[in-house]
Amino acid sequence: MATLELIGLTKRFGNFTAVDNMSLKADDGEMIALLGGSGCGKTTTLRMIAGFAEPTEGRILVDGADVAKIPPYKRNIGIFFQNYALFPHMTVFENVAFGLKLQKLKKPEIAQRVADILSLVKLTGLDERYPRELSGGQQQRVALARALVTRPHILLLDEPLSNLDAKLRIEMQVEIKRIQKGLGITTIIVTHDHEEAVSLADRVIVMHEGKIQQIGSPNEIFERPCSAFVADFMGFSTFIQGTIGPAEGEMRPVTCSGKLLYVPGGAAEGIAPGSPVTLAIRSENLQLVEEEGENTLSGVISAVTYKGTTTRLEVTGCVAETVCPAVNEYTQRQLGEPVLVHIPAQRICVYKNV
Amino acid sequence: MREKRVNIFSTIVAVLVMLFLIAPLVVIVIASFTPTAVVVFPPKGFSLKWYENIFSSSTHFMEGLANSLKIGLLATLLDILLGVTAALSVCRHDFKGKNALLNYFTSPMYVPSVAFAFVLLQVYSQIGGVPGALRIFIGHFIIILPYIVRNTVSVLHVFNWTLEDAATSLGANPVQVFFKITIPVARPGIVAGALLAFLYSFDEVALSSLLSTPKFITLPIRIMNYMELTFDPTLAAISTFLIAGSLVLIVLMDKFVGLDMFVK
Repeated sequence: MATLELIGLTKRFGNFTAVDNMSLKADDGEMIALLGGSGCGKTTTLRMIAGFAEPTEGRILVDGADVAKIPPYKRNIGIFFQNYALFPHMTVFENVAFGLKLQKLKKPEIAQRVADILSLVKLTGLDERYPRELSGGQQQRVALARALVTRPHILLLDEPLSNLDAKLRIEMQVEIKRIQKGLGITTIIVTHDHEEAVSLADRVIVMHEGKIQQIGSPNEIFERPCSAFVADFMGFSTFIQGTIGPAEGEMRPVTCSGKLLYVPGGAAEGIAPGSPVTLAIRSENLQLVEEEGENTLSGVISAVTYKGTTTRLEVTGCVAETVCPAVNEYTQRQLGEPVLVHIPAQRICVYKNV
Repeated sequence: MREKRVNIFSTIVAVLVMLFLIAPLVVIVIASFTPTAVVVFPPKGFSLKWYENIFSSSTHFMEGLANSLKIGLLATLLDILLGVTAALSVCRHDFKGKNALLNYFTSPMYVPSVAFAFVLLQVYSQIGGVPGALRIFIGHFIIILPYIVRNTVSVLHVFNWTLEDAATSLGANPVQVFFKITIPVARPGIVAGALLAFLYSFDEVALSSLLSTPKFITLPIRIMNYMELTFDPTLAAISTFLIAGSLVLIVLMDKFVGLDMFVK
């Protein structure tokens, strides 16, 4: 296996900078997620690592050695493509054996390694099928087997789960993680789905417009996004504008549309009193309460969306912005009903406006 | 009841159309076995003597067949090289004037072949001394190119170019990618185009009749010339011969690439 290092990697197409001065180091056996919306540069980064695109600036090191001069077919990087890219004129066996045949291995060894990898992805017995005769989930596992069978130094996964239905997606998340950890292969996964990123990766990198916004453990990224942009991308639903005041003991007050909310001093470190700030909080962390208290706002329900395990409410009239609590069970609450929303101070993320 | 009547009506129409398509062929095939000196149906007796006549050197049919096969096969083979490369370059890259270039490649299809033959004749007479085989070859070579370009493009339009990246990442160099992935996936289009191109060349009359010299005559022109002078069952025999040949070709084609390529 191998380490992967990107140093100041930059890719420009004419005036457009797709990837801007990106640096990162993946340890041996680590799984890193590149997370971002479409056009954030994550796929371009992947293509440069694979050798399909040439960096405008910067270097790519595998095990400390620069790979710029190595053509893509000699890089020994396994790639899983978003549309699977299975060869339609070959059977499952031939697809998986393709890379091994190019390595000029002996027939019995090829047969053995294909059989091993197919049993690893639980596809034993489907060798003679053509890709068009397989379900989406099966095709995906063939693609994964094909990328792994050549024992690549590095595995690149491009949106591996985007084409699957919800149930299969969770199954495959578990499978991919099991196989990746089992083989101990350094892996970069590209995705636009924050849940996929945090559930698969050891580290998550959030990208936007070619730049790295934040690098951190899944937990850090999920709970403590470093900017309002990352928070929005990670599924924070309620954003409240306000002006922060000086510390009052452990807490600092924030005036939001005339209401006072308290945030922990630690969450607002280094922000000067009087600065305009954005407070961000997840729906699940907002609570409906019966009694007035600190950090409790009163408003009326303006929308109710039943989502199965949760019900998402939109509450207006408490601050200028809409507050969106998600409650855990089906709620009898009606449109126009007045409610009290409690915002737990420890759950609030504070960002200085720029 | 009403629905049923409509069904009977459409069935009758369908059967009639099919009869209309197949009947002349059946008549010709059966009549070719007649021993009489003129084509009669039903034949009076059974004889293979008109088939013998095809092979006799006096009709020059075999010589014409050989000429037609030579021209057709050579032009098709060279056009595969040219047409497939043209189709690949147009489909693989995105550039300005892509469609214009594609139309340019397929333009021989839209020029009336008589007009085209006239232009070629002018060129040949300017140069002078162009041998008969070359005169016809150049004409066919140009006029059948569009069939190969168009059929290859129709496959490459829906070609998943990621397949090439996938093969590359598995260790295939550009040459291996081309021969193991690109060409095999595009093959149905190439084969379909090549077949249509060959049949067009094999069947071509207008261009060939204007360009041929007495020394080099293709089979369709031979048959036409023969028809002008004699009208005996040899013509029925050679027709049957050609029908059988096409049938074999179609069956082979269905076996190797499937005929759905042509229905699209």
